Amino acid sequence: MISNFIPGLIMIITSFLLPTIPQYFRHPAMLLSVGLSALSLFNGYGTFLEWDILGLNLILYQSDSLTLPFAIIFHIAAILVIIFSWHSKNLMEHMATLAYAGSAIGALHAGDFFSLFIWWEATALTSVFIVFAGNTNAAKDAAMRYLIIQVSSGVLLLIGACLMLYQTGNHNLAVLDLKTNFGIFIFIAFGIKAAFPLLNGWLQDSYPESSVTGTVALSAFTTKLAIYALARTFPGTDSLIWIGAIMTAFPVFFAVIENDLRRVLSFSLNNQLGFMVVGIGIGTELSLNGTVAHAFVHIIYKALLFMSMGAVLYRAGTTKASELGGLYKYMPFTTIFCIIGAMSISAFPLFSGFVAKSLIMSSLGGMGMVLIYFILFFASAGVLEHSGIKIPYFAFFAHERKNKVKEAPINMLIAMGIAAFLCIAIGVFPKYLYQILPYAVEYQPYTLDHVISQLQLLVFAIIAFLFLVKIKLYPSEIRSTVLNSDWFYRKMLPGIGKPLFKKIGLLTDSLYKYLGLSFKQVLSKSYKFSNLSYIKVTTPSFAGTILISILFIMLVIVLV
Amino acid sequence: MKKNDLKSMGKSFTKYILLIGALLILLDFTFHRHEYFSFAEIYGFPAFFGFVSFVFIVMLGKWLRKFLMRKEDYYDQ
Repeated sequence: MISNFIPGLIMIITSFLLPTIPQYFRHPAMLLSVGLSALSLFNGYGTFLEWDILGLNLILYQSDSLTLPFAIIFHIAAILVIIFSWHSKNLMEHMATLAYAGSAIGALHAGDFFSLFIWWEATALTSVFIVFAGNTNAAKDAAMRYLIIQVSSGVLLLIGACLMLYQTGNHNLAVLDLKTNFGIFIFIAFGIKAAFPLLNGWLQDSYPESSVTGTVALSAFTTKLAIYALARTFPGTDSLIWIGAIMTAFPVFFAVIENDLRRVLSFSLNNQLGFMVVGIGIGTELSLNGTVAHAFVHIIYKALLFMSMGAVLYRAGTTKASELGGLYKYMPFTTIFCIIGAMSISAFPLFSGFVAKSLIMSSLGGMGMVLIYFILFFASAGVLEHSGIKIPYFAFFAHERKNKVKEAPINMLIAMGIAAFLCIAIGVFPKYLYQILPYAVEYQPYTLDHVISQLQLLVFAIIAFLFLVKIKLYPSEIRSTVLNSDWFYRKMLPGIGKPLFKKIGLLTDSLYKYLGLSFKQVLSKSYKFSNLSYIKVTTPSFAGTILISILFIMLVIVLV
Repeated sequence: MKKNDLKSMGKSFTKYILLIGALLILLDFTFHRHEYFSFAEIYGFPAFFGFVSFVFIVMLGKWLRKFLMRKEDYYDQ
């Protein structure tokens, strides 16, 4: 029986039951539901649940070698988030988080575009409450914008699915291309959630506005679900290579000048997605393995970095670089965990980022794509800049701090500790990660060439940083807003639309005024007319008579 | 002593990083580093590439501030 239960569904049901559970048992109950859902990981591959409805065959639960690694890491991420938020009493956020993680896991197991659409929208509708739970005016506004963008993605997916069903009679998840119109719709739907260049504004807009714990949950699921969907439907699509390459390089410059460290991490998240998208675009077994491996390790170290910044926000009250610094003395464990996350994302040998990124770089090198290879190599120096150096440096070092703060609560330290342990364990023993990848590929990341090459890049980038700080060319942090692609709908469109509608409003206003005046005149005339002694009827019945006669005349005309 | 904690940490960190950097360059001379592209096999190429990329990213980012940076309450106005 349990083997037919859609993975993740039990988490959604538990999330609805949470209000009835006493406060102290809520987190254990959440963990238990994730554990029960994780039993599905042992089911093996195959199709387990189908549903015939409205003449459609929906595949609600299927699993294969691409689903499994994502399902494993989504469950791990859910557990990390629950432990990290153990101290919190925000019921709405807990419910939203659990249902969100459940929906994302459910989406992985959908076998057709319509079931995928349902889960796609479910992740949007549940996660918007996490943004909302940031509980500031800025968070509420960001949540509304987030919802509009996410639902639009879902609508595009639905249009694509309907067109596909209409044109081909098939709606199962399959490899598509961009030569069909439904392929384009679905591609853009996935592209919005994967934060393609210029479609990425929602990510940096909403994630940093969420609560201490909310951002950690958000960082794990939505974008990686999109990566999974792209890997399933568009492997080997050439344009993805360029889209991905731009994604790796483009956010790097924004991250340099952004002041809010959680927004810096959101730009960094965008850059990491670029590596995965390139892997999908290449479409070989090695590169797809690279994408999956990268998504797997990325979820852990990105959650770790967001957790460390969450802990800083929780204790110091801000994540603005211009206001932080010197926290290493007061939050030593958080500092160490953050540095482990930073070294993992920067792909230092023996850390998880290295063993995953190598797969993508090797497949690029093997194909002889020299330009893309060096864009990604360049972007690796960028990753080191914003995630490897900027985050730990400005939060924990930079300058001495005057006010004392406490170390992060124990539950946060445990969650960060588990994530940090996984980062190192995967880096040291990559074969366990490689075993669960979709394709069986023999690969050895630790060759002398590769380790030396990567270390040279990283160490000399650090030397460049020290050099720039020494000669005082490294930009100091300034309290500011950095424009991003959300500017188009937050500033430009309202900038055009507001005056335009104002003018149209004035025009219609004067039109109504004029109409009103003439109406008054007609009314007063008819009033005089009705008061004439030879019309012995009251106005309503007089009007009624006229109306009926007009209708009668029309009827006669129509009949004749 | 307390005031100089960060400074002394920075100094020793710089020292060790420079040492590791020098070692990595020396190592490059001891064996032939195989790369996918032959021009990347030049001695110290990744080191040079990393240094230059980093400076380029920071400098271009700094320059982009002219176009992209607004006041903190920009969207609230």
